[in-house]
Amino acid sequence: MLAATQLWQPFHEFVFMRRALIGGLVLACSTAPLGVFLILRRMSLIGDAVAHGILPGAALGFWFAGLSLPALTFGGLGAGLSMAGLAAWITRRTGLREDASLAAIYPISLASGVLILGIAGKRLDLLHLLFGSALAVDGPTLTGMLWVSGFSLIAMGLIYKPLLLDTLDPLFLQTVSRLGPLAHGVFLTLVVLNLVIGFQAIGALMVVGLMMLPAAASRFWSRRLPVLIAIAAVLGCLSVWLGLLLSFFYSLPSGPAIVLVAGGFYLLSVVLGPVHGLLRRPPLLTSQ
Amino acid sequence: MIRCQALRWGAPGQPLTPPVDFELPKGSLTAVIGANGSGKSSLLKVIAGLQKPLTGKIFLDVPRQGSLSFLPQQQHLDRQFPISLQELVAAGFWGSKQSPELRSQRLKTVLEDWCLSGLEQRPLMALSGGELQRALLARLSLAQTPLLLLDEPHAALDELGQSLLWKHVHQWHAEGRTLVVVCHDLAAVRQHIPHTLLINSSGCLLGPSTELIRQQPQTQVA
Repeated sequence: MLAATQLWQPFHEFVFMRRALIGGLVLACSTAPLGVFLILRRMSLIGDAVAHGILPGAALGFWFAGLSLPALTFGGLGAGLSMAGLAAWITRRTGLREDASLAAIYPISLASGVLILGIAGKRLDLLHLLFGSALAVDGPTLTGMLWVSGFSLIAMGLIYKPLLLDTLDPLFLQTVSRLGPLAHGVFLTLVVLNLVIGFQAIGALMVVGLMMLPAAASRFWSRRLPVLIAIAAVLGCLSVWLGLLLSFFYSLPSGPAIVLVAGGFYLLSVVLGPVHGLLRRPPLLTSQ
Repeated sequence: MIRCQALRWGAPGQPLTPPVDFELPKGSLTAVIGANGSGKSSLLKVIAGLQKPLTGKIFLDVPRQGSLSFLPQQQHLDRQFPISLQELVAAGFWGSKQSPELRSQRLKTVLEDWCLSGLEQRPLMALSGGELQRALLARLSLAQTPLLLLDEPHAALDELGQSLLWKHVHQWHAEGRTLVVVCHDLAAVRQHIPHTLLINSSGCLLGPSTELIRQQPQTQVA
């Protein structure tokens, strides 16, 4: 069992733990509103699709420039955005359902990423790209994470109102404003940006977990959007903190440890959450 | 004023009517009637600029953005959305430059007008169909636009709700606003709406409601 002092001692003692913690906490805060809105917009799958989509770009970046932060970032960003864009374009032009279109895109991305890595000589570990290692967050990566998180929180604040209306009632927003498509575009860009910066820390697939699990869990705790976002952020931060501690004391891989803690919170919420949780009676539909 | 010239609308390659021309004058109150699938709702969306016409043109005497309110059918709203009734209604203030005090005063009045007082904090999922419909109408009242397009506003409303609705429709009409109302209730149309646009696959007929609904078209406009 962890003693009280052990809850912060590793972060006090080791720089790499401190960096991993700070990076993870800011990432949990900036991905919380994104995850909540992805669920509300019924776009939960897009995180997965983009995370796979990042892979060929990052692999190409690695092939040409080696293990450099900007090359991996811009490669991932370009590929992630084009995969999300391609799926959206196919849906709009052909009427193929959005989930089918996304499900078709991500094996293509994954396979081309693995192929490129194979051609590049397997010097970059695929497992590292997919599952990452929070304990390998270096100075420049941490700076990048702080910038991206700060930027996305500010941008989300700016587009909050149009994005909310575009999600709830797009027809209404269209009659009063032209901001709907802009808000949607900014939102998708932020999703990709956070996934790209996150994949270098906890891995492409793990960052999707950090984005979606707290958001899905928060739905069982409140019916108010700002509260949902706050709960998702708190659950995300707790997962990062506890996950890192588990990984430190029990020598577990950090990315999966963080995501599994988040998964634990999700399952607990499903059972115990006051809003439609399994142990609660259905909510009373009339006011008191 | 809404003027349509050689207008055709519907799914691509499947226009619902031959090209039609009609003009609804400024300050008019017009019902749109027709069978299911005749294109009443699509026509409203085309006028609102939410859907492109297949051919032809529509002229409005006001700019679309900010001068037009559209009441859609409510089933496209996600009832699980984590937002309260008050937040939904207050979206009607979009773009308004009123002070916060004036806004909260107006919001209170409008909620009272639509018999929604006391339900302010209720989440969408806990509203009845009629309450949600009144909330959407209240949001529309806040916007105070000169052109109102209502798609089945009486849907889900009980007797009290319907009498509220028609009271407001008459009030908006008296204020000189232009209203177009898609309505299935022909008796209500005869009673409350002076003019009717009847859509069928051979075109559109525009005339006084009392005559058109007795199947006696006054003007052939298609």
